[in-house]
Amino acid sequence: MKLSFKGQANNFFQPIVGKVTRDIDNAKNKILILDDLTEFKSLDNPLALLSAKENKIPNTNEIQIPTIFNLVDLNDLKNDDIAVLNPNGNIRTLFQAESLHNSLFVTDRCNSNCLMCSQPPKNREDIPYFYSINSKLVKLLPKELEAIGITGGEPTLMGEKLGMLISQIKDELPDTDLQILTNGRAFAWQNYTKLISSYYNDNVIFAVPLYSDYYSHHDYIVQAEDAFNQTLLGLHNMARYNFKIEIRIVLHKQSIERLYELSKFIYQTLPFVDHIAFMGLEYTGYTPFNHDLLWIDPVEYQAELQKSVTYLKQNLMNVSIYNLQLCLLPSDLWKYSKKSISDWKQSYLDECNKCTIRDDCGGVFETSKIYSKNIKAFESSIY
Amino acid sequence: MLTFTEKKNSLLIDIPLSDYSIDVIYKCFYWYTGDYDVEVSKESNHTAIEIITRSNEKIDFDYLKSKIKSDLIDFKTRDIISKETKNVRDLIIAKAFSDSDEFNSEPPGEISDPVGFKIKNK
Amino acid sequence: MSRKFKESSYYQKGNTNYYLLPFKFHKINDLTEVLVNEVGEYLFVDNGTANRIINREIEFESNLYKDLISNFFISEKPIPDLIDIISNKYRSKKSFINEFTSLHIFVVSLRCDHTCHYCQVSRVSEDQNKYDMSKSDIDIAISHMLRSKSDHVTMEFQGGEPLLAFDKIKYGVDKAKELNKKYNKEITFVICTNLVSVTKEILNFCKEHNILISTSYDGPQYIHDKNRLYTKGSSHKKVLKGIDLSRKILGHDRVSALMTTTNLTLDYPLEIIDDYYKNGFRNIFLRPISPYGFALKSPKKNKYVTEKFLEFYKKGLMHIIDMNKKGIYFSEDYATIILKKILTPFPVGYVDLQSPAGAINSVIVYNYDGYVYATDESRMLAETGDYSFRLGHLKKNSYDEIFFGKNASKFAYSFANESLPGCSECGLQAYCGADPVFHHASQGDVIGHRPSSGYCQKNMEIIRFILELISKEEYDTIFRSWVYKTSFSEKN
Repeated sequence: MKLSFKGQANNFFQPIVGKVTRDIDNAKNKILILDDLTEFKSLDNPLALLSAKENKIPNTNEIQIPTIFNLVDLNDLKNDDIAVLNPNGNIRTLFQAESLHNSLFVTDRCNSNCLMCSQPPKNREDIPYFYSINSKLVKLLPKELEAIGITGGEPTLMGEKLGMLISQIKDELPDTDLQILTNGRAFAWQNYTKLISSYYNDNVIFAVPLYSDYYSHHDYIVQAEDAFNQTLLGLHNMARYNFKIEIRIVLHKQSIERLYELSKFIYQTLPFVDHIAFMGLEYTGYTPFNHDLLWIDPVEYQAELQKSVTYLKQNLMNVSIYNLQLCLLPSDLWKYSKKSISDWKQSYLDECNKCTIRDDCGGVFETSKIYSKNIKAFESSIY
Repeated sequence: MLTFTEKKNSLLIDIPLSDYSIDVIYKCFYWYTGDYDVEVSKESNHTAIEIITRSNEKIDFDYLKSKIKSDLIDFKTRDIISKETKNVRDLIIAKAFSDSDEFNSEPPGEISDPVGFKIKNK
Repeated sequence: MSRKFKESSYYQKGNTNYYLLPFKFHKINDLTEVLVNEVGEYLFVDNGTANRIINREIEFESNLYKDLISNFFISEKPIPDLIDIISNKYRSKKSFINEFTSLHIFVVSLRCDHTCHYCQVSRVSEDQNKYDMSKSDIDIAISHMLRSKSDHVTMEFQGGEPLLAFDKIKYGVDKAKELNKKYNKEITFVICTNLVSVTKEILNFCKEHNILISTSYDGPQYIHDKNRLYTKGSSHKKVLKGIDLSRKILGHDRVSALMTTTNLTLDYPLEIIDDYYKNGFRNIFLRPISPYGFALKSPKKNKYVTEKFLEFYKKGLMHIIDMNKKGIYFSEDYATIILKKILTPFPVGYVDLQSPAGAINSVIVYNYDGYVYATDESRMLAETGDYSFRLGHLKKNSYDEIFFGKNASKFAYSFANESLPGCSECGLQAYCGADPVFHHASQGDVIGHRPSSGYCQKNMEIIRFILELISKEEYDTIFRSWVYKTSFSEKN
């Protein structure tokens, strides 16, 4: 799925955020995609014009509206999607109308550097830029949207702006669930937690990763000193202010080592968390670079996963398994497995076409560069 | 070095103070006062303990000596833990029962990324 | 801060010179000892490990080292970075204290239709009326009850046989609901009755007000009727009839039973448990023989009786575990309380097994004559002429004088097992409690002498036994099913 596009921009002074349409008669305040810019009639002004035709250089003197042309293959930019058009000609899809998995991207900055990061961070200030476009985006989101996320990078680096964004989302989308992915470290500072709590509402859940019960092991995996201690203190502060919390555990060779101990630790020390998600590895980003440290075939950790999930369920904790294929899980864990891979990066392998339970399975990450050799179809229908 | 002396109805133990303090001795032999009469006499550099049987029951000296040696080690271990952890224990409980922020500490470590991030102190 | 990946050793901050965090230990058997940290979390290790830990013999970054660090037994700094986490857990474990007195016992009448030989209350025959609680006393007691800090209180009617003064129960329930309109607390009503004189009319009232029934049932007839002498025939038959009728009208789960152990009981653990199961109960409370009847017997006799009880208890518990292994859900109440303390991070308040002690902090007794007592056993002591735990009188003393006055503060120093001799460094302290009334009654002193204390002897062995069962890892599923079937306070 193509989510970013590059062309030549004209008449741009600032980024433009808008809903996309190809309907020339209903283009007011939207981003109009035309095959041929000469089709354009200036009755109701759209926000911007995009020309999808290759190598068409229009007579731009007549058109004062911001325009990006020379764009290739805009097929993935669908009507009712919302995109940001940048003055340098870059276009990015911010919201996909047909997807169930949309997130607000708030920054590429991060204060951790996880060995398996699927979105490697960048050291440049981009928070004001993203805050500005997200503020516009929130106003355009459909009111009946069930769920939206906030992701990055590390959202708490926004400081108070994170709270302000939470507030904007609640104002525009009062019934929409909001999930915020964060390492939770900034919440170790009680005054920051208190600040965010003044914006908090109970549509919000914070999803916080934890990879070991042993501090230096977790710090090594996330490549940040004191991260474990800060995250734990943060989680306790968040609980004190009644934030809803999910713990996420990405499963790889490092985190498997003390998975059961971590599960016991979560129950004993974080009994207030609302949900625990065990997550299959997305083989992209930093992961290929750290292959030897991280890669383990999921069938090899079935026993640890089973022991950990069983322990948490016996203690009445809410547990899910994300991003793992049914053929790689013991069958009594299937009931916890969710179809969680974002639809825009989800797919099935050829092998899966003969699988009788394919539709119950979440499939694989399209973005992963390698897959388990044990992915195999269930060809009979005894399951 | 502990020295034992077996008597008709009692066992005498001599314990150098450098081996076991009087605190440890009291805590240890307290538990013997259910089944025996216990006399403790503290001298300058050692303690003499007499464990006296009640009702003329025969003493199993081997069992009793072995138990005493092992109990003394256990109670010394407990005493060391109590003394070494007194401060942190007081702090844990003070924080647990404190209503105010008087015992709050700064979180450990750095929080910033390479671009620069600070949490404002309110 | 470059984004170059660093080795794991970069993030290790410790060495073999670690610091101790507060913990205790206790020998479980010849191979195993248990380490228990300040917030009651356990770790099973080989015998002698506690000693090795303090001698700094634990290898840096070994699995045991990592377990000790992450479970807060040792630390790499004198004050650990996560000390606030430990404090939060400690606060959570002790938070049952916040409720202050939540169980309020109203002895509405001393009249009784049974003459159970273990009953410490001097029974008065059914015919006399001056042994009922007055309405004016009930009013004052209810107002004390509603002053409790807790959002949830239990109003428990006892006796004698409280149903013989059912009019007072009706009055008490109505009055409590009326006065509660101002406070909006949740009130749980319980009637402790032998169920022999229960009627449909009484049960309909109970249904209307969601009242729970707690009855005394000692097992098969040859045991129950020997223990509990009913003036008008077989208690056993009538009790089962009463249980049946109560379940029909109130619902099966609204009727519970308590067993009282006597010398006779001690020979029949399996028979009693099977009988409970046969009669539709799914749990039993294997309680020890109350010491208040034979308090002044020799310490040796007491020790023997406690040993016999422990044999009874362990046999019974293993039989119940066997039932569960065969797929029958049945639990033992005392073990369940201890299991909650060991296996969960949540606070567990149970009046006979908590520190600070349940007396006043969790329970209070308003007697039929208006006197107020610290515990149920305290008023039984008063029947023998010992008024040590009489706190005051409803008409003569204010709330503060009763709950915080001279008589209460006189023995408050014995409330916490953290400071009692023998208990202060005991490895099982977190799972045990303090019972000053018991020690006063059986030993003449609220502090008590641990080596000859029946309370200590019983609890030390039961808790050790349960820990040993946990260490075998065979019964995890069964134990956790008991822990979560009963409701408990989950306040963090």
